[in-house]
Amino acid sequence: MKNTLKAYVAYGDHLTTLLFLVLLAGGAVMVRSATFGTKFAPLAERQTTWCFVAVAAYVLATLVPYEVWIEYSYILYGLCIVVLLGVMIFGHSVAGSRSWLVLGPVGFQPSELAKVAAALAGAGYIKDLSHKVIGIKEFSILTGIIALPMLLTLFQPDFGTATTFLPMILAAFYLSRMGLSQILKWAALAAALGGVVFVLGWFTFFKPYQKERVLTFLNPASDTRGAGYQVHQARIAVGSGELTGKGLYSGTQNRLNFLPAPHTDFIFGVICEETGFLGAVALLAVFFALLGRFLSTLLVARDMEGRFLVLCAFSVILYHLFINVGMVIGLVPTTGIPLPFLSYGGSSLVGLSLFVGLAANVRAHRFVR
Amino acid sequence: MNLPLDSGLPAKTAFLRVGLWTVFLLFALRLFYLQVLHGDYYRTLSENNYTRTIVLRSPRGMLLDRNGKVLCRNRVSFSLVLDAARGGSIDETLSAMRRILDFTMDRAQVDAALRRSPVASLAVLARDVPPSWLQKIEAHQQELNMLRIEMELRRDYPYGLYAGHALGYVGLLSPEDAERMKIKETDPFIEVGKSGVEKTANVRLMGVNGRRTAQVNSLGREVEDPKLRLPGVGVQEDPVPGKPLNLNLDMDLQTILENAFAGETGSAVFMNPNTGEILAWVSEPEFNPNLFSGTVSASAWKELVDDPTRPLLNRPIQGAYPPGSTFKPFVALVGLQEGLLSASTVFTCGGVWDYGGHPFHCWSKGHGTIDLITAIQNSCNIYFYHAGDRIGIERLDKWGRLFGLGRKTGVDLPGETSGVLGSPEWKAKRGLGPWYPGETLPVSIGQGYLTVTPLQLLSFYSTLATGGTRYRPRLISGPPEVLSTVDVSPEALGVVKEGLARVVSSGTGKGCQIPGVEVCAKTGTAQVVQASSGKNTYSLDKAERDHAWIAGFAPRSNPTVAFVVMVEHGGHGGDVGAKIAKAGLEYLFLGKKPGELIGPPKPASVPPPPLAEPEIPTDLPPEVPPPPPEQPTPEGIPQGTIQDQNGPAGVRP
Repeated sequence: MKNTLKAYVAYGDHLTTLLFLVLLAGGAVMVRSATFGTKFAPLAERQTTWCFVAVAAYVLATLVPYEVWIEYSYILYGLCIVVLLGVMIFGHSVAGSRSWLVLGPVGFQPSELAKVAAALAGAGYIKDLSHKVIGIKEFSILTGIIALPMLLTLFQPDFGTATTFLPMILAAFYLSRMGLSQILKWAALAAALGGVVFVLGWFTFFKPYQKERVLTFLNPASDTRGAGYQVHQARIAVGSGELTGKGLYSGTQNRLNFLPAPHTDFIFGVICEETGFLGAVALLAVFFALLGRFLSTLLVARDMEGRFLVLCAFSVILYHLFINVGMVIGLVPTTGIPLPFLSYGGSSLVGLSLFVGLAANVRAHRFVR
Repeated sequence: MNLPLDSGLPAKTAFLRVGLWTVFLLFALRLFYLQVLHGDYYRTLSENNYTRTIVLRSPRGMLLDRNGKVLCRNRVSFSLVLDAARGGSIDETLSAMRRILDFTMDRAQVDAALRRSPVASLAVLARDVPPSWLQKIEAHQQELNMLRIEMELRRDYPYGLYAGHALGYVGLLSPEDAERMKIKETDPFIEVGKSGVEKTANVRLMGVNGRRTAQVNSLGREVEDPKLRLPGVGVQEDPVPGKPLNLNLDMDLQTILENAFAGETGSAVFMNPNTGEILAWVSEPEFNPNLFSGTVSASAWKELVDDPTRPLLNRPIQGAYPPGSTFKPFVALVGLQEGLLSASTVFTCGGVWDYGGHPFHCWSKGHGTIDLITAIQNSCNIYFYHAGDRIGIERLDKWGRLFGLGRKTGVDLPGETSGVLGSPEWKAKRGLGPWYPGETLPVSIGQGYLTVTPLQLLSFYSTLATGGTRYRPRLISGPPEVLSTVDVSPEALGVVKEGLARVVSSGTGKGCQIPGVEVCAKTGTAQVVQASSGKNTYSLDKAERDHAWIAGFAPRSNPTVAFVVMVEHGGHGGDVGAKIAKAGLEYLFLGKKPGELIGPPKPASVPPPPLAEPEIPTDLPPEVPPPPPEQPTPEGIPQGTIQDQNGPAGVRP
């Protein structure tokens, strides 16, 4: 035990820990500001509590060597699948989707944990490969591993959360034996295909609210009272923060209820309004520093399964960040994807903390064999 | 163990790093664009979000009578406002309004209200709505998002119908008013005077609205949040209340006179001859100024306009009538001033005078040979035909101008009409041909090409009372204003006054005798239709009956009041007119107090009317148009004979 601790002090990924803690603290403060004086005020305390749970999860994910996690990955994965199925049948329904597991006073979305379990199971599969090379067959199996909980989440139905599994499939693809140029060709093909699917989907399975979001994203001024209201008010919140912001607890868009969902999906709007350009860019810098750290870990990871875990953490967090921040600042259409570590919500916080912990774990154990 | 690093990994990682930087820079640039480059713009939008300018309405000045009685005050009222700038559909709001408030309005009415509102996006839908609507709208915030209840101050006339024409009424500022009065307003509830002293003294009464910037949340509800330090919030400009207005009216006298009318149609004005202060201003029938306090319901408006008795007409200045015998003292005075008549000038009345082949009748079968004073006392037509013939139309015209007959008096009320004082010049200007000597005769008994407003006639009698000084008649209290001084000899005045005193002591004006007070007055009966000649006017249909006049002043020496009473189709001035005048004089000289008020003194709040109606014209055409130019015979004499019908002998009071 003493040796383990000593080794951790010597080799642990302290930069990641630091960035992670900064984000957690930022989240605790911003959720407080975003709920101050509203009926959601008690959520600030809850979020603080969740932060401690998140730290515990992080410590656990970092200290337990990741090969141990991988060893138990199939069990964890299986458990998650069972729970997801259970939730589908017995789960607590919020806003029309059965995605909540309620245990006493605590509600939890198992799909967030299923994401980590899927990453670990994928890593477990890679570990068991003798050649450690991801070809078509291996990629297909990895995709299957990830797609199973994703589909279960999709059928809850929770479209937004389901999409957060996709980056892990891309991670598996990216780590395949294909070179960069080949991957880029495939990416171009996928983009073209995606365009076709989008056009077809527009006329077939897209729900009216989804279409509306896209339309108002393309032209937010079209309806600042109806569908474009959120987008419009979010943009006012961001812009009116100016260089230095209005100060914590002093954002009028936030405090006077103009900003929709200020403590969850639009918390970045609160950050922009209250801490200004400087605060918002500083926060983004922390995020991108963390992601950059993951990339350097990717290069030094000692094995394929470690790389896979790091790239999963990287892609999942980047996806959240890109979609959420992009939505608030008007670069992508409105979706229900939270901002990692800052949006209110325990499940996502714990799930993503485990990812960061595992990435730090891979780095800490880069010399271990 | 060698790391099973596939050869592509460094390149792939580098690519991801470039991608990462790209996203970071994209985000940072976007934030820079929104927050730094366009921060001002979004700050303004956010300030517009959370601040709302709340109008602090200035109360309009009260109206008080000369004894400090409140004639008009303000009351709190709730009004329903539609704010088109708030999100939502007007049609859906209207259907929700029908369902929730049980209040129906169609789209066209709302559009019209929006068009006429001084604030483009705000329309006043209904005023004086029940306070319960406040809670209903709160409770259905979602559906009735565009509606809100605002508190405003509205005019309240505690005397109801009384003195309505003098006080006037107010209405919401129309686009036309705003342009004319150069008012830039941001409040849809701004009210301006549309008639009466409300209009004359509008600027003084109005005051200036104040404003306060309040902090509101996304529901538009005002919130106090000490944590938010917001620029611009809390700025307050206090409203400047309108100044109260003291009127010269004596509400007790007003009440007595209106009650004395007892449903008759006509005018009465009492005035202090020495100052021009108007003590009472009666125009019957009345309208209720409370009805106009704001929006007028379509049905109420139509009712008023279509009413054959024309209640909106301000008769003392908008009704022009032939003055009848009340004009004779003027003719006498002109004759005396010009040296063409004297107290001892006599003419003989045989009941009819043949003038150029046309018979001109007296109301009597013959007064015999009488002097001027007796002629005034008995109102002899034949005497005044002779007098008028001797004086001639030019001199009557000259003195008429000096006394302001056929001219506006300059009273402080809007919409005054001038009436007509016929003259060769006047006739020529209208292309009516030359003046025939036979046309002077009807004028000299107050008929023919001659109409005056009751106030003009009062002004003449008031000038007799002062011995030549003409004051501007004024409802609004203030220093007296001399219009002009007519040079009248005391001797001439003495003769006319003697005649007037005798009218009351032993003539047609006995009806307004006051014990201990020598009243000077002249009655008159102005013929309305030719048919009435020689008939007992009371045997005619009401609409064909003659107009009854009485005008005068009291006491004879040092007069303190001048008065005029005119009752449309009232019959003889000595009957109905004198009775009304007497009621007023009894109050002034004997201190008789008014009895019970007649009619609704103070109607409760008017039910919510649907919408503002078009402007109410104040310049209504005069009730009685100038006499139709009768086709003169070759000899220049009107076909019909025009007579003073003071009633056949025996019927006369």
